[in-house]
Amino acid sequence: MENQPIIIFFAFLLGIVSGVIMHRSDFCIAGMFRDLFLFRSSPLLRSLILLIACSMLLFEMARVAGLLNYSLPSSLYGLPSLTNLLGGTLFGVGMVLAGGCVVGTLYKLGSGSVPAVVSFFGLIVGSTFYAEFHPLWKQLSLATRLSTAASIPQLLDVQPTTIFITILAILGCFLFRWQTKGKMLRPNVVKGYLQPRTAALLLAIIGLLSFSLTGMPLGITTSYAKVGAYFEQLVAPGHMATLGYFQGRGFEYFSPLSNQVLTAGAGPFWDGLSLVQFPLIGGIVLGSGFSAVRMGKFKLHFNLPKPQLISALFGGILMGLASRMTPACNVWHLMGGLPLLSLQSILFTIGLFPGAWFGTRMLTRFVLRT
Amino acid sequence: MTEAKLKQVEIDVCGQICPSSLLTTLREVNNHKQPLRSGEIQLDILTDNSDSTNRIFEAVSNMGYMVEINEQKKHFRISISKRNRTEG
Repeated sequence: MENQPIIIFFAFLLGIVSGVIMHRSDFCIAGMFRDLFLFRSSPLLRSLILLIACSMLLFEMARVAGLLNYSLPSSLYGLPSLTNLLGGTLFGVGMVLAGGCVVGTLYKLGSGSVPAVVSFFGLIVGSTFYAEFHPLWKQLSLATRLSTAASIPQLLDVQPTTIFITILAILGCFLFRWQTKGKMLRPNVVKGYLQPRTAALLLAIIGLLSFSLTGMPLGITTSYAKVGAYFEQLVAPGHMATLGYFQGRGFEYFSPLSNQVLTAGAGPFWDGLSLVQFPLIGGIVLGSGFSAVRMGKFKLHFNLPKPQLISALFGGILMGLASRMTPACNVWHLMGGLPLLSLQSILFTIGLFPGAWFGTRMLTRFVLRT
Repeated sequence: MTEAKLKQVEIDVCGQICPSSLLTTLREVNNHKQPLRSGEIQLDILTDNSDSTNRIFEAVSNMGYMVEINEQKKHFRISISKRNRTEG
C-alpha cells in the first residue's frame, strides 16, 4: 500500500475535526430519530436533512467535475435486499437504547461518558459475534434481493442528474422555509455551542473529502469486527480459523490517495480498512475529548443508574450486530449512501424509523421510568 | 440572584445517557409543581451536557418557569424557579 503515512494522517485529521464539530453541536443522530417518537418533535432532524442535501449537492458537483469517481453497485453500496431494512430496524433499536449511534458513541466516549464506554464494548462484542452466523445471513441476503438496480436513478431508468436536481429542489424548498422561519436555529444558552446547521455544513464537506480522497465515505463499523477479530485470534485461534468472515479479505476499493486498489476486510490484519478507519476512530475520540477539556466539561461519572448501563451495553451489542447485518452503520448510509440515492441506504434509513420507535418504547418502559 | 429563603432542591444527572437529563428534569418539575409554583423552592439541575442544557432551558421556559443557567467548573447548574410577574 502506497502513501500510508499520508492516508493515516489525513484520516486522523478528518476524525479530529469531526470529533470537535460533533461534540460542540451535540450532533446526535440517534437523538434526532428518538425525539421524533419521544417528544413528537425533533428540531435537530432538520439539520440532518440539511447534511444529506448538502452531501448530495457536493457529491454530484464533485462527480460532474471529475473529482469523485464512483459507480453503483459497488463494493461500497451493493444491491438492495430485505436484510438492509432488517439491519436498519435493529440498528434503530440499538442506537436509541445505547443513547447514541456508532459515531455518537465515539464522540460521547471522548468527552468522558461512561455509558458510551460501555456501549463501545457492546459494539465490539456484537460485531464480532456476527461472524458466527455470517454465512447464513449472506444466504438470506441473497435470497431476499429486491432489485438488480442499485440506486433510484437506475430503478427508474432516468439520468442521475435529473433526479438529483429534482430532489435537491424539493429539499431546498423545505430547508429554505425552515431557515426563513428561524427553525434551523437552536436556542442557545451555552458558551462554545456550535449550531447544528453549521455542523451539518461542515460535516458534509468532511464527508466529501473522505469520499473523494480516501475512496470511502465516512464509516467505522467494520473496524469493530476487526478489533474483535484481533482479540479472538489471541484467545481462541482454533475457533477463529473456522470463521469464514474473518478469513476472507473483504471487499476491494480504489484509494485515490494511494492510487491503487486496496482490500478492506474484518479479519485480523492491517489493510485498506484499518488504514483509514483506525485513525478516523482515534481522531473522533481525541477531537471530542480535546473539545470537552477546552470547555472544562470533561469528567467521568461512575455513579449512574444500573438500567442505563445495561441499556448502553445491550444497545451497543445490537448496533454491532446490525451494522454487520445491514451492512454498515447510519453514518455510512445517511452521509454516504443516501446522498447517492443508493437503494441499500434508503432501505436502511426506512428501517431506522420503526427501530427507533421500538427502542424509544423500551427506553421509557424499562430504562428511564418517568 | 436567588433569595436566601428559597429552599434548594438539587438533582444531579451528570453523565447519564440521553435523554435522561431532560426527562428527569421534566419529571422533577412535575413532582415539585406545587412548591415551585408557589415560590417555596428552587429546583437545581446539574448536567454536563450542553445540548441537554439548551433543551431543558427551552422546555422549562415554555412551561412558564424562570430558568437560569450558571456554568460551573465541571457542569451546568440549571436553576428553575417561579417566574416573577414583571418578567412576563
